[in-house]
Amino acid sequence: MIVLHRLARLLVVLVVVTFLSFVLLNLLPGDPVTQILGLSATEESRARLRQELGLDQPLLVRYLDWLGGLAGGDFGTSYITRMPVGAELAERLPVTLELLVAAQIVALGLAVPVGVAAARRAGRALDQALTALSFALLSTPVFVLGVLLILLFAVTWRVVPATGWTSLSVDLGWNLTSVVLPAVTLGCGQFAVYARLLRTDLIATLQEDYITLARARGLSPRRILWRHALRPSAITLITAVGLNLGALIGGTVIIETLFGLPGVGRLIVDSIFSRDYLTVQGGVVLISVGYVVVNFAVDLVYAAVDPRIRRA
Amino acid sequence: MAGSGTAHLRPDDEVLLRVEDLVVEFPAGRGRTVRAVSGVSFDLARGETLGIVGESGCGKSSAARALVQLPPPRSGSVRLDGLELTALRGEALRRTRRRLQMIFQDPISSLNPRRRVRDIVGEGPRVWQLPGDRVDEVLEAVGLDPATAAERRPHEFSGGQCQRISIARALILDPEVVICDEPVSALDVSVQAQILGLLEDLKDRYRLTLVFIAHDLAVVKNVSDRILVMYLGKVCELAPSADLISRPAHPYTRALIASIPGGGGLDLPPADTLISGEPPSPVDPPSGCRFRTRCPRAAPRCATEEPHIRQVGDDHWLACHFPVKE
Amino acid sequence: MRRRLGFGVWLAAGWIGLVLLAALLADFLPFARYDETLAGPPQSGPSAAHPFGTDGLGRDVLSRVVYGARVSLGVGLGAVLLGLGVGAPLGILAGYRRRATDAVIMAVNDVAQAFPALVFALAVVAFAGANLRNVLIVLGVLGVPSWVRLIRGATLSFAEREFVLAARVLGTRDRRILWREILPNVAVPAASYAFIGMAVVVVAEGSLAFLGLSVQAPTPTWGGLINEGRTLMETAPHVVLAPSVVMFLTVLSFNLVGDRLRALTDVREIGLEPVRAPAALPLPTPTHPVRDTLLQVEELRTHFVTPRGVVKAVDGVSFTLDRGRTLAIVGESGSGKSMLIRSVLGLLPGTSIRGGHVYLSGDDLTAYGPAEMRPVLGRRLGTVFQDPMTALNPVRTIGTQVMEPLRVHLRMSRRQARAEAVELLASVGIPDPVRMLRRYPHQLSGGMRQRVTIAMALSCRPDVLFADEPTTALDVTIQAQVLRLLHRLRAERDMAVVLVSHDLSVVAQWADEVIVMYAGKVVERGPAAEVFARPRMPYTESLLQAAPRLTDPVHHRLRVIPGRPPDLAHLPAGCAFHARCPYARERCELEPPPLSEDHHHPYACWYPRPGTTAEQDVRTTGADSRGR
Repeated sequence: MIVLHRLARLLVVLVVVTFLSFVLLNLLPGDPVTQILGLSATEESRARLRQELGLDQPLLVRYLDWLGGLAGGDFGTSYITRMPVGAELAERLPVTLELLVAAQIVALGLAVPVGVAAARRAGRALDQALTALSFALLSTPVFVLGVLLILLFAVTWRVVPATGWTSLSVDLGWNLTSVVLPAVTLGCGQFAVYARLLRTDLIATLQEDYITLARARGLSPRRILWRHALRPSAITLITAVGLNLGALIGGTVIIETLFGLPGVGRLIVDSIFSRDYLTVQGGVVLISVGYVVVNFAVDLVYAAVDPRIRRA
Repeated sequence: MAGSGTAHLRPDDEVLLRVEDLVVEFPAGRGRTVRAVSGVSFDLARGETLGIVGESGCGKSSAARALVQLPPPRSGSVRLDGLELTALRGEALRRTRRRLQMIFQDPISSLNPRRRVRDIVGEGPRVWQLPGDRVDEVLEAVGLDPATAAERRPHEFSGGQCQRISIARALILDPEVVICDEPVSALDVSVQAQILGLLEDLKDRYRLTLVFIAHDLAVVKNVSDRILVMYLGKVCELAPSADLISRPAHPYTRALIASIPGGGGLDLPPADTLISGEPPSPVDPPSGCRFRTRCPRAAPRCATEEPHIRQVGDDHWLACHFPVKE
Repeated sequence: MRRRLGFGVWLAAGWIGLVLLAALLADFLPFARYDETLAGPPQSGPSAAHPFGTDGLGRDVLSRVVYGARVSLGVGLGAVLLGLGVGAPLGILAGYRRRATDAVIMAVNDVAQAFPALVFALAVVAFAGANLRNVLIVLGVLGVPSWVRLIRGATLSFAEREFVLAARVLGTRDRRILWREILPNVAVPAASYAFIGMAVVVVAEGSLAFLGLSVQAPTPTWGGLINEGRTLMETAPHVVLAPSVVMFLTVLSFNLVGDRLRALTDVREIGLEPVRAPAALPLPTPTHPVRDTLLQVEELRTHFVTPRGVVKAVDGVSFTLDRGRTLAIVGESGSGKSMLIRSVLGLLPGTSIRGGHVYLSGDDLTAYGPAEMRPVLGRRLGTVFQDPMTALNPVRTIGTQVMEPLRVHLRMSRRQARAEAVELLASVGIPDPVRMLRRYPHQLSGGMRQRVTIAMALSCRPDVLFADEPTTALDVTIQAQVLRLLHRLRAERDMAVVLVSHDLSVVAQWADEVIVMYAGKVVERGPAAEVFARPRMPYTESLLQAAPRLTDPVHHRLRVIPGRPPDLAHLPAGCAFHARCPYARERCELEPPPLSEDHHHPYACWYPRPGTTAEQDVRTTGADSRGR
């Protein structure tokens, strides 16, 4: 019941997002016809192309047309490359997804032990050092961090290639070496966010009455920390992961450009430069769907972790 | 208990505040409704103190807020000196606010942490553009030294002192009725005695009419002329304070008294024979008499028929099918 | 309220000021203009003439970084102001008006958040033209949803506070309430977010510039500089490092200032200042004969080292307790009664120092380390706290929580523990205990939760049960049930109970012995009936007369204790109560009275009450009717 309700809302959000982005992209200056034919084309040939591409139709008609296609899984055909947008996106998506998952593994793999360690010794030297580190990472833009990491690992020490991509299906080892640097770059900032969040939340949880009472029942600090404190605190973390994952789908643009990865982000940037509206539009849809779906999933996980949500 | 009815109301010209069939409800999510107050009536004569007592969830605080129309009740009438407050909106309602003031339970949260005491207390006169500066006078009346207190901020005061500031803020407008919503329940015993004494003094000095709401029967008895006992949004019993404590007729009132260690000097049976279990949810209150699920005297009739308020003694009113007769 | 911001913040603010000033005064600074080629040899490293070196075209990198700051900070400032200007009014409106207004604003906000912000910024800037104005507008508009959410949240948290309701009761108009009551409180989180927002926008502008979609060359921007520098990474790393470091420091500074501002208002962070190790000043631990009793506490002290001085929360408390007896500890807030039992249990925060001895059946618990203490806490001492709402872990089932001590301390199998848990829950009067095992705390009423916490405390059959205000948070009818339950269990299990309470009538009815505490010290001790009937210490007497009773006549004047309890960090000389005591004489101000030698009913007072006041009525009948 609640799931259905949420699904309906999700659909509405998607329709609104696509409509707005469609309108906005089309209202902006710039014309694909000019892009294809160049400035010197005759008015006649321009009109012909316009008709051919369906650009002579009113905006709303074009949108509904496009939306109808989308419902059937058709993202339309690029005005510029004359390739189906859906196929193009599908080809690029695995790269972006792998990058995202790898980055989250890096971020969470580091953040949980670090956040827990800092919270246990709140205020002590270790906590202060970890807080300072996460603050520094939080304040480093990904492109700065990426450049620095490339400078160190690819240029100075030559451990991994600076740019380029080997698909997972071609060679696992090469795939991993090509994903490790981008994933670390993307994951570091996330790590800082998660670690700080977990630390603050854990410290608050550790001050709760039920934790003091657990101590009063003679339970060991380790047991109290992992069995009693971590789960309530994990809820905040899960929300953050969901929100971030959604936001990150767009954030991979920079990483993919920097490391020369053939992902969705890179595709969108290229399409923006070539005024390839439908491809940009397809990318926007993909990212919005990703964001909305991830958050929907987070809500479900949330209910699994926190019994208070289940009934409310 | 579960009583409704208006038999206990006095003629209009004898009372300052008259509340009739007050109903307060608010949404509880998923289409359900919390029935906080369901048809409560009472009145106050000028200069009188009415105590309202009941446990959490009985609707006493919701009733208090409905009196000042924040938010207005779902239905029912609140008449101040003949003026129907529930019919007023906007500016007309705002104009009546001066006459009806309120004191809250949490002394810390009821004062804006970023304002000075002088501004907090002086806010009323500024809003009403009243001439003269009475802040010092009122602060003195509540036992604070204006010279040291007025320029400080709330966090520099103790809970008891904050409550004095709240009282000063209410008094400076010369209200006719002051509604005190659990004004001492967050305070220590010694401070509680200070505030109760202060309220009595101010009541005489400023000729106030008080509605005093609390969960502690002993505190309510100390300040009230009459006491209204509420349970789950309904009226149980209404009587002059001494009479209510010495001759409780409603099963719930008796259970309440028996639950207090010492039992009020009455020779009541142990509390666990007078009341059992826990209060039901106000989202889904029992049919008929709302107290029947915990009442040892409950009979089939209590489930089907709601008792109406009727007189059982001199100004002693009751809503029960099977009251205790002594 | 006032808290130190810390050295780092001033450093950060200084850096922000420096960058801002440099950006403003760039035209007057003594270096080559940003676009002057061959100002020095190309790709030369840092030198006196060019502190940050030169780039591939021989342009001065410092100059380029400083001019780049104009774009970064300008866009940052503009976008934050735009976000604040649009987002704050909407957020306040949504938070204050609520209902339909809120629903509409938040629905729009939800949609806005589903927009891929960066992609959108790229598209808009690419199509509409990469110039300062467009970048500023796009980043500003994209920041609006976050502003709305933040301001709405802050407004909501204050709009529900009683002082806003109080203002409405006064008849204050909405506009004035917004300005006077809500805005000043929302200002601090908004200021904090303005700094964090600056950091976000500076990074976002950098990202755009990095992709070549911000202000176009030749105007330098930080992101653009880093992008250009990339190509020279191998030969002249300083070209990319200089703008990177400046940008990092700037973003870090904005984040730092924003974070500290937020910490000012965030209650959750309070008390997390770096803990300075307390000046290890061991408290006196005089030796005492160890008596043959269940619980013996000797000269127990708990002090906290705080910036205001040493707070003597518990100051030399001694008592003994036998099996089957209930000892009540009474006092007002701040008297040290709760701290006393935490001190006995060894559950004190890290900043405290403890002195004295606690013997449980002759074993000195103060000599035990944490690991040795655990089995004692688990099996021999049980604890119940005041608020049943916070005493249970919200995300674990009742079953898991009740079974845990059984499994850990008694090493029971899951099946055994389950059976025992069902029995325990039944013994504390929980209907249908088998079903209860699978439920979560939030599904239970307060009274039921308190029964569960009692069941947990009793699970390993403790010798002593410590109950800290166990019924204060409960309704009076439920309170009677829970107290009766505790009393019954004490008899059934032959344990001792330490009952902490501020409610004298509760103590009178349920305790055998009573300790009255004031300012961390015991001021009177004795059999409950006697202490309440014939109090000797004036504080006890006034406390009894300050509490309203049902038997008092209507409008009865309660005894008022003037003043307030003393500051535990600065206790007065002499008797701590003398300033509030109507019987105090000169000696009370000079010499602290010791606890009298009378073992039956000792008190700490130079001029005790005769002990014949007419307090017999309720108090004694209460004590006599105990156990019904």
